[in-house]
Order: sequence, then C-alpha cells, then structure tokens
Amino acid sequence: MSQSIKLALPTGRIFGETVDLLTRSGFALPEDVRQARRLHITNGGNQSSVLVKDRDVPTYVEHGVVDAGIVGHDVLAETNPDVYQPLDLGIGCCEMVVARSKGQTPGAYRDLPIVRVATKYPEVTFRHFHGHGIPVELILLSGSVELAPMLGLADCIVDLVQTGRTLAANGLEVDEVLFRSTARLIVNRASFRLKGRLVGEFIASLAREVGR
Amino acid sequence: MQQRSNLQIPSGVQCFYGREAHLRKEVERRVGEVFSGWSYEEIIVPLFDYFEVFARGGGPSFTDHIYRFIGRNGELLALRPDFTALVAKVVASRMQDRSLPLRLFYSGEVLRYQPPQAGHQKELFQIGLEHIGDGLAADLEVLLVAFEALDRLGVNDAVVTLGHAGFVLGILEESQVPAEARPQLLEAMRYRDADRVDDILGRKAPPEVMEAMRLFGGPEVLERARAIAQHPGSQEAVARLHSVATELEALGLGHRLQLDLGEVRGFDYYTGMVFEIYAPGTGLELGGGGRYDSLLGKFGVPLPAVGFSLSLDRLSQRVKDHLGTSREAAPEAIVLGKQPSRGLAEALELRRQGMKVRIS
Repeated sequence: MSQSIKLALPTGRIFGETVDLLTRSGFALPEDVRQARRLHITNGGNQSSVLVKDRDVPTYVEHGVVDAGIVGHDVLAETNPDVYQPLDLGIGCCEMVVARSKGQTPGAYRDLPIVRVATKYPEVTFRHFHGHGIPVELILLSGSVELAPMLGLADCIVDLVQTGRTLAANGLEVDEVLFRSTARLIVNRASFRLKGRLVGEFIASLAREVGR
Repeated sequence: MQQRSNLQIPSGVQCFYGREAHLRKEVERRVGEVFSGWSYEEIIVPLFDYFEVFARGGGPSFTDHIYRFIGRNGELLALRPDFTALVAKVVASRMQDRSLPLRLFYSGEVLRYQPPQAGHQKELFQIGLEHIGDGLAADLEVLLVAFEALDRLGVNDAVVTLGHAGFVLGILEESQVPAEARPQLLEAMRYRDADRVDDILGRKAPPEVMEAMRLFGGPEVLERARAIAQHPGSQEAVARLHSVATELEALGLGHRLQLDLGEVRGFDYYTGMVFEIYAPGTGLELGGGGRYDSLLGKFGVPLPAVGFSLSLDRLSQRVKDHLGTSREAAPEAIVLGKQPSRGLAEALELRRQGMKVRIS
C-alpha cells in the first residue's frame, strides 16, 4: 500500500502564507482552495489536507487523525500538545505581548493588588503573571480583546500582535513582549515513526524552502 | 449553592458495559495469559499510598499529575499514578528473601490529573510487568513478552521504537552543556524542536545534539550514532542497542524494531534501554517501558529492573473491530416461573450442573 500524508491546515490568520509555502514546496493545493468551502482537500504530491480552526490543529495532530499540521507557536504555547515540533517555518510572524492603555506608566499594572487581564490565552497569561508572582484575575474573551481596557473591563491585555495597528487604534501600546510567535510544523508521534520516510521527506522539503 | 444533578459525572471518568466491558476483560485476560506464560506472577497492590512513595519514583513533571489527599491522621496520601513505585515498595518490604530475578505483573487503574483539553482520561487502565534483579539479558526477555502480548491481540503490525537514556545524556556531557540548562534542553529535545534548542543554549547547538534528534530508523542509524558520540556513556548505549537489535534480528523480530536515539521522554526515570510501542491507525502510543536501575535503590534494595506497561484503553480501541464482535454467550436454559418451589428450584439444579440459566 502506498502511504500518504494527511495534514491539518489552519484556516485563520496564517492560512494564506501556509498555502503559499506548501505550493512553493511542491505540494500545490487546488486553485480554488481559498474560496471553496470544502474542508477536506487533496494537495499535490501524496498529500491531503483538512482545513480546521487554528486552535484545533494540535488536537487533530495529537490524536493522530492527521499526521502533521501547521500552526502558530502562540497556539502551541497555549495548548501544550504532546506532538513533535521539528521545524520553525518562519511565516506568520507575530509577538505575544502585554499591552496597556497609552499614557500609563510602563509596568504600573504590576503594582495593583490583583491585575485584571483580558485575553484569549489563559494559560500563557497565568504562566507569565504567576511566574512573576503577580496575582491575576482572568477576563476570558474570544475576540476584540483590545476593547477591554477602554471599557474598564481589564487593566491590560495579553494578545498576539502583528503590526500593532489594532492596538494603536484602540488607545493601547505594548508594555512587554512575552515571546515571538511564528508558524511551526507539528508532527504526530506515531506518524513520525510509522511513516518515517514520508514524514522525513516532507520535513526536508519544507526545511529547504524556509532555508533551515 | 447550585444543586448538582445526581447523574452528573466529574470530568475524566469513564464507565464500560456490554460489548465494551467484555472487550476490555478479553484484552486483559489475553495479555495476562501471555505474562503468566512467561512465568510472571500477578501482584495486586493498593489503590493509594503515601504521596512520598510516588514522588520518590518520578520527576517533578510527573508529581504534578498526582491526585493527593489528606488522610485521617493528617498524612499526605495519593491515588496511584502508576504501578512501578508500588511494586518496588512491595519488593523492598516483602520479597527480600525470594531468589532473583523476580517476575511480577499487574493490571488495574491508575489516576492522573490531566487537563481536559489534552483529550486524555484521568483514569487509565494499565497492564504491565516488572523484571527485577537481573542484568541486561532481561531487556530482551521483556521485549519478547511485549511482542507476544501484541500478537495475542492481533496487533502484529505494531512497531517497537528503541532508544537508550545513556546516549543523549552522554552527548550533553560531551558537548559541555551546562548542568542547569539540561532539563530545559531535554524538554526541547522531547519535542524535537531544534530552534528552541538553539534558543536555550543561546548559540547554534552543537551538531551532535541536532543530529541526535534525527537518529531514527533501521540499524544503520547506529553507525551514525557511533560516529557522532565520543562520550563513553553514549558509546556504551550504542553498543547495547546494537546487541539488542542483533539478537532480535536473530529471533526473527528485526522487522518490528525501529531505533530512535533521539527520544528523551522519561529520562528522569529510565537509566538504560527505553522503548515505546506504536501501531498504524493509532496516533498515541500503545505502551512503553525500559530499564530503571536506580528506582529500587530508592526503596533500600539496589536491584536492577526493567519493565513496561500497555494501555488497556488504547489497546481496546485498536482491537475493537476484530475482538469486539464476540459477545457474552447466550443462556443454555431459560427457566419459566419465579416461585421458589418451581422455577427457582429448577434453576438452582441447572446451575449445579454448570449451565448458564436465565429466569423468565
């Protein structure tokens, strides 16, 4: 039986760059992939893909229903899946930051008895603040996190920032950069072994393309 | 306080009935038979013990997952997160006079706190064995037992990936990675994350560290391994793996072995050979084990040991299509009437003859 690789691709922020990278590496996706609503597609080469929400990519890979996936480091930092992460693809570059209202003294929120932080990244937030001994009240949001300080819901936010324009437009500025986030290739532990050659060749072809 | 429905279940618990329950018992029975067939003796250990017993066995990342509670006298207790520490304790306290080696197997639930999003259950059912008090010859024996147990379940496409704790530790020693960076570095290597390795070292990582993460495949990787690792510990590890691989080859099992010298999972615990078991169609490992020569010493009996455990949960999932079709046998006699004088008396008589009955 000829083996094939199944990938989970994130439909969110880094979808475009992911499609471009796969195409350049010789795994062209169908032309209409950007418009089509199909969730299961055939790539060039011996690949197929499922299109899933960014946050779900590690879940699919960890359980082995797909062999590999592409996902931002921000998602990995938040979900901490037990998967191999052999390659930094260098695309989808962003920063995970703490941001506060413009004009506030940098780091002033640290002196509050408890800091109210709005975020989509509860794990990352707890790890950072509790790691520095600062108590946190978590305000869990699923979008438009930048609104929270303006409306008095939170003292600061923890969020992923690409250009900083959304921050600026909402009267916020970066207080601290937690880490730089780029897209990673992740691989299921069983597939890494049972489809060793195929997975190895796939990693190598992406590595050549991203210059690693 | 909001009243909880009395049917609500806490997250992470499971129950099995009907075909599922039958399947799990069948898997347990078959594996147990194989273990007994190799003269492993069943040991039944307590569900809880002092927390300290388990803490002694595993590293800090492991103790994070233990369910702890306070006993009536204020002592810190824990639900068992694995069997090996309990077996070690029994061996140290009760089996000192026995002649070596000891061959023991166990079967039962372990409890580990795992965040729900990881998709893992908190109650896990393990079947495993420990071979205590014998040298390296036992390594091969436990691998043969593992292969036979998998075959007995029809999982004959399962692959064992074999590595050695001494290899990577030797490399880190050789490349003079500072001791304080090692735990973090092993964590990055666990994910085969070359970029994070660079970050941790603050420089381009030594080529042998990078190469180690890619030492995966057939026996040929041992040649590459020998070439890159000068440290005596690494050389010894390679020689050891070479001998296990050669012996398995001679026994006709070479095709079911892969070498993986880059795997570092469990390195705070294992001291020699380590292995994991994978099968096509299952994304998570079916089991794993290795040599842990320092654990028994922590209980006062410095004996070498090697063992492994299989996940009953994952094995059952894997074999449900071909083992799951057998059902409970139908009753041989249906007895009509529930009066003590008639139906029940008749049923009692049929039961004495050993028949399966159902009262209707």
